Amino acid sequence: MNNFINKIRSQRIWSLFMKELRQIKADKKLVVSLILPPTLQLIIFGFALNPEVTNLRLGVVDESRAAASREVVSAFVESRSFRIADYYRSSEELGQALSAGKLDAGLIIPSDFAKQRERRETARIQFLLDAVNSNTAGIAAGYAARIIAALNERSAQPLSLDVAGTPSSVRGRLVTRVALLFNPGLESAWFIVTGVLGVLLVLNGSIIGSAAMVKEKEAGTIEQLLMTPAPAAEIVTAKIAPLFVLLSTQIFLALGVGRLVFALPARGSLLLLFTAGTLCVLVGIGIGTFLATFSKSQQQAQLMGFFVNPPLSMLSGAMTPIEAMPEWMQPFTLLNPISHFSAIARGILLRGAGVDALWWHLLALIGFAVALVGISAWRFRKQLG
Amino acid sequence: MKRIIAQTRKELTQTFRDRLTVLLALVLPLILLMLLGTALSFSVKGIAVVVQDFDRTPLSRQYIDALNASLTFRVVALPTNRRPDEILAAEQARAVVVIPENFERDFLRGRLSETQWLIDAVDANTANVMRGQAAALTSAFAAQLNPAADGQSAQPAVKAEMRMWYNPGGSSRKFIGPGAFAVALALFPPLLAALALSREGEQKTILQVYVSSISAHEFLLGKIAAFFIISLAEWALALAISIPLFGFKIAGDPTPLIVGTVLYLFCNVCFGVMVGVSIPNQAAAIQAVASVQFLLSFLLSGFIFPVSNIPAGIRWISAFVPARYFIEITRDAFVRGGGWPAVWDAPLMLALVSSVFFLKAWLRMRQMQIDAD
Repeated sequence: MNNFINKIRSQRIWSLFMKELRQIKADKKLVVSLILPPTLQLIIFGFALNPEVTNLRLGVVDESRAAASREVVSAFVESRSFRIADYYRSSEELGQALSAGKLDAGLIIPSDFAKQRERRETARIQFLLDAVNSNTAGIAAGYAARIIAALNERSAQPLSLDVAGTPSSVRGRLVTRVALLFNPGLESAWFIVTGVLGVLLVLNGSIIGSAAMVKEKEAGTIEQLLMTPAPAAEIVTAKIAPLFVLLSTQIFLALGVGRLVFALPARGSLLLLFTAGTLCVLVGIGIGTFLATFSKSQQQAQLMGFFVNPPLSMLSGAMTPIEAMPEWMQPFTLLNPISHFSAIARGILLRGAGVDALWWHLLALIGFAVALVGISAWRFRKQLG
Repeated sequence: MKRIIAQTRKELTQTFRDRLTVLLALVLPLILLMLLGTALSFSVKGIAVVVQDFDRTPLSRQYIDALNASLTFRVVALPTNRRPDEILAAEQARAVVVIPENFERDFLRGRLSETQWLIDAVDANTANVMRGQAAALTSAFAAQLNPAADGQSAQPAVKAEMRMWYNPGGSSRKFIGPGAFAVALALFPPLLAALALSREGEQKTILQVYVSSISAHEFLLGKIAAFFIISLAEWALALAISIPLFGFKIAGDPTPLIVGTVLYLFCNVCFGVMVGVSIPNQAAAIQAVASVQFLLSFLLSGFIFPVSNIPAGIRWISAFVPARYFIEITRDAFVRGGGWPAVWDAPLMLALVSSVFFLKAWLRMRQMQIDAD
C-alpha cells in the first residue's frame, strides 16, 4: 500500500518536472542566456582584472650626463618593469608630465652624481612615483629598490676589496629565500577565475530562479499550479529541479573555459568541486525564489536583486583578498556562500586540498542551501494563503 | 521646447510614484558607492603567518618579534610538526617562515644565513606584495643588527629617495574612491531611463507617442532631461557621501569636473535610452543595462587596474565605456589636480560617445515612427 502511494507520488512529481523541462526547452533565450553570458563574463573578468606591474612609463632627467648616470638609467631599462617614455631637461618639466598622467614614475639624477660616485661617496638620486594607484606604486617602489640594490651589489665589489684589509665587525648577511607555492608563475587570472566561478553560479541561479517563479505569477497560472493536488514542497521541488540540472552544467562550462583560456590546473578531486558547485547553484536558486515571492513582476524581482547580489559578490573575497577588507567586515564573509565556495574552488583546483581541509566550508554551503530553499518553499505557500 | 518640458514633467511624476524605483534611484547608488569604496582594496594587512623556528635562539626569536611588529604580517602559533604545504593548503596561514637550525650561529660567524619563506601564491598580487615585504623586513632587521655594515664599511654606492606623489600614505581609498564614484553613477541612471522607455514599448503606450505630434528627438530629449535631473540628484548625494568617506578635496581647477559630470551623466542616460528604445521588454532591458554598464564600468574602465593591463583583444571595448573617461576626470580633480592640460580629451570623448548613443536611439525611434504612419 505504502509502496503504491509512493509510486503515484513519484509519478506526480515526475510529470511536474517534465512540464517544467518542456517549458524551459521552449524558451530558447533562456538556454542561450545560460551559456553565453557566463562564458563571456569569465573571460572578461580573467583578462581585465590584471594587477601585473610591467612596462611602467618612466621619465628621466639626467643632469649629470656621465657614464655613471647612464649606468643607472640602463639598469632601469634592463628590467622589464620600466620603459623610458621620455627624457626631460628639468625636474619641473618631469613633474608636469607626471601630473598630466603621461608618466607613471620619474627618475632624477642630479648634476653632482658622477662626481660623488668618483669620490666613492653615496650618490643620491630621486625616484618619483605617481602613487594615486597605491597598489601599483607600492609594487613599483619595490622593483626600483631591487634595481638599485642590484646596482649597489655590482659596484660594491671593488669597494669592498679596498677595505678588505680591515675585517671590521665580522657578521654575516641575512637573506630571505622565497618559494611561491601553488602558483609559481604568479598567474593572477587563477585567483580571479576561481572566485568569479562562485559569483556566476550564485548570481545566475538567483536571476534564472526568480524569473521562472515570477513567470507563473505574471501569467496568472500560479493559482492553477497551487490547485494541483500536490503539496507546496513538491511543486517547488519540481520547479527547482530542472533549473538545478541546467545550471549545474554551467560548472563544467566554466571549468572548461578556465582550463582552455587560462590553463587553470585541477589538483584535487573534481567530484568534490562539482558537489560544492551544485550546492552553490541551489543557494542561488534559493535566493532567486525567495526574492520572487516578494515581487509581482519580473522587473520587480530583478530590481530587488540589486539590493542582494552586488553586496554578496563584492563582500565575498572572490575578487579581492579578504585580508584587504576592513577588519570589522572580515567576519561577515563567513555568512557569505560565495566566500565559502571560492575557498573550496581555490582549495581543490590550486592547492590540491581535500575534504579534511575543506569540510567546514562544505558544511556551511549545505546549511545555506537547506535554509534558503526551505524558507522559499514556506514563503511560496504563504503568499497565497 | 514646450513639448520637451511636458514630456520631462510626465516622466518625473511617473517615476516618483513608484516607491521601489525611487529607492532604487536614490539609495542604491549610495549603497554601491560605499560597498565599492570600502570592500575593494588591495592593501593587505595582518596576513596570517606561521613560523617554524628550528633554531630557537635569541636571534630567531628577535626575528619573529620583528615579523609580529610589522603591519603586514601577524604570527599565528601552530605546532611545528606539520608540513608547510599542508598548513597552506588548509588555509591556516598565507605563508610559512622556516628559520633553520644554526641560524644564529651562522650569522654570528659571518656566514650567510637565510630564512625560508613559503608563500601561498594563489592570489598573485598579494603574494607579490608579501615577497617584497619579506625582503624589506629582513634587510631592515639585518641593518639593525649590523649598524656598521650599513653605516661606514659598506656604504651603498647609490641611494634612491623614493617620493610617493599625490598619495604619500599609499592609501588605496584615494585610488578606489574616485573610481567608485564613477561606477556607482554608471548603473542606475541608465537603468531607470531604459526601464521607462522599454515600459512604453512593452505596454504599447509608445503607439500613442507615434500618433501624437511630438517628434522623435523631442520625445527622446524629454526623457533624457528627466533622467538627467534624477542623475544630478544622485551625483549630489554621492558627492556628499564621498567627501567624508574618501576625503575628497577639489585639487586645482574644478571646471573639468563640472563639464565632465554633465557630459558623463548625459552619456549614461543616453545609453539607457538607446537600450530602452531597442528592447521593448522591461526584464530584458534591465539585464542588458545591468550586465553591460556594470560589468564594463567595473572591469574595463581602469577602475581597479590600469586599462593598459588589459590584453589588446578586448581593450578596444573600453573606448566605448563612459566610466573610463569620467574616472580619468575624477582622479585628476580629486587627487592629482592637473586640470585641463591633463584631461582635455576625456570630455571630448564623452561627448562623442554620447552622440553615438543618442543617434542610435533617434534612428531607431524615427524608423518606428515611419512604420506607424
